[in-house]
Amino acid sequence: MSLAIHTEMKEAPETPAESVPFEEKVAVRRLNFYYGAYRALADINVTLGKNKVTAFIGPSGCGKSTLLRILNRIYDLYPNQRAEGEVMLDGENILSPKQDLNLLRAKVGMVFQKPTPFPMTIYDNIAFGVRLYDQQPKSELDGRVEDALKRAALWDEVKDKLNASGLSLSGGQQQRLCIARTIAIKPEVILLDEPCSALDPISTAKIEELIDVLKQDYTIAIVTHNMQQAARTSDFTAFMYLGELVEVDETTKIFTNPKEQRTQDYITGRFG
Amino acid sequence: MDKQHEHIVRSYEEELALLNNKIAKMGGLAEQVLGQSFEALERRDPELAAATIREDEAIDELQKEIEEQAVVMIARRQPMAFDLRQIMAALRISSDLERIGDLGKNIAKRAVAVVSEQQPKQLMLGLKHMGELALGQLKEVLDAFIERDADRALKVWYKDEEIDAMYNSLFRELLTYMMEDPRNIGLCTHLLFGAKNIERIGDHATNIAETVYYLVHGTAITDQRPKGDTTSSTPVALKRSAG
Repeated sequence: MSLAIHTEMKEAPETPAESVPFEEKVAVRRLNFYYGAYRALADINVTLGKNKVTAFIGPSGCGKSTLLRILNRIYDLYPNQRAEGEVMLDGENILSPKQDLNLLRAKVGMVFQKPTPFPMTIYDNIAFGVRLYDQQPKSELDGRVEDALKRAALWDEVKDKLNASGLSLSGGQQQRLCIARTIAIKPEVILLDEPCSALDPISTAKIEELIDVLKQDYTIAIVTHNMQQAARTSDFTAFMYLGELVEVDETTKIFTNPKEQRTQDYITGRFG
Repeated sequence: MDKQHEHIVRSYEEELALLNNKIAKMGGLAEQVLGQSFEALERRDPELAAATIREDEAIDELQKEIEEQAVVMIARRQPMAFDLRQIMAALRISSDLERIGDLGKNIAKRAVAVVSEQQPKQLMLGLKHMGELALGQLKEVLDAFIERDADRALKVWYKDEEIDAMYNSLFRELLTYMMEDPRNIGLCTHLLFGAKNIERIGDHATNIAETVYYLVHGTAITDQRPKGDTTSSTPVALKRSAG
């Protein structure tokens, strides 16, 4: 008797765990990317869910930053780099030559590994981008600056010195300033490329808290070398290796029970 | 995901191996305590019983060690995926083994209590068989753990039904003896508790089987195990009319 149940059980498909539902915001389809003749990304398919945080992990040179750089077409600034395939943002292919790049970068903001405040006042760091996209009266601009700094959890620390240089802030504050600058333009997608790698744990925690809050309004993609950070902050995690996307799944699954051996080896520190 | 590569950090690998060894050692001790407690009961040997009771302390000690090591590893290594499951499994299995040790100790205590009593051969035989079955289940599931063999664990999981069935029949038998002659009640109660302890040991072996399955597959066993212990709903009056 027990044998019968035994075999039956083994053949039954695993009950799918409750999946996190999401709405498609960015869909990357059959994406290939070339630095000259070198293919840096091979046939990438991945979806960024609306109001979800998707983390990209993988060893250095696996293509995760390259992928991020495609999502707002920063790579266009460099010669000899080209992308093939589709990156759909709300159903429109942003890789199309007709895509207005300024509009795209207003919709898809990016924060880099090293804080990059402009050499100007804290106020102007935020206002600079806003002025580029919107002409508005001073009072309204003040509101936008304050709102962005509040959302980036920096307002209380800088409200009394908005005319101080952005460079006078600490590393963690500078990074939050950069996030505030990104938010001020009211993007829909925020790309974070190793946003905490130069920060101390407290500043890192503040950025992570910020990611939690921001995802209510934005779709977030984060590239990180810190696996624990990916585990802490993201809803979905994609593991990339040698230009391929090995596995993408809910973060809880990737870090407790990944399907692919390569993912397992990487996240447990067994690579090689 | 059957083959595991070595960790890049060797000390991490060593810590996981140490955790594994401690579970194996604890399992070996639990087997020993059980085996001896059954023997003490059967041979009515109070000295063996007393020695067995003392041996349980080593099991408790190991459980504390495993728990401490697991907590430190979680804090320092931030384990992921299979490593995380190994550490969770160590925690769960060690607490099951600790309970098994306690139950073995209880049986040994009863061996001391029934030393002077006349023991009906057939009853003792039934209890002995049940004990052997439980001990076999424990050995099998510990091997399944060491081998990381989920199928083997699953077999243990299904087989627990047999222990439950034996417990049911022993329960009825003991009731009959008690009703036949009230002077049997003292002994039979001790034996009944002993049988219940063995049945619980089977349940803990089943828990370990579930943990091994989770360790290997990362998911819980999805099937419903047939529940075999029906004694809690067995009416006594029914026996009276039968007897």
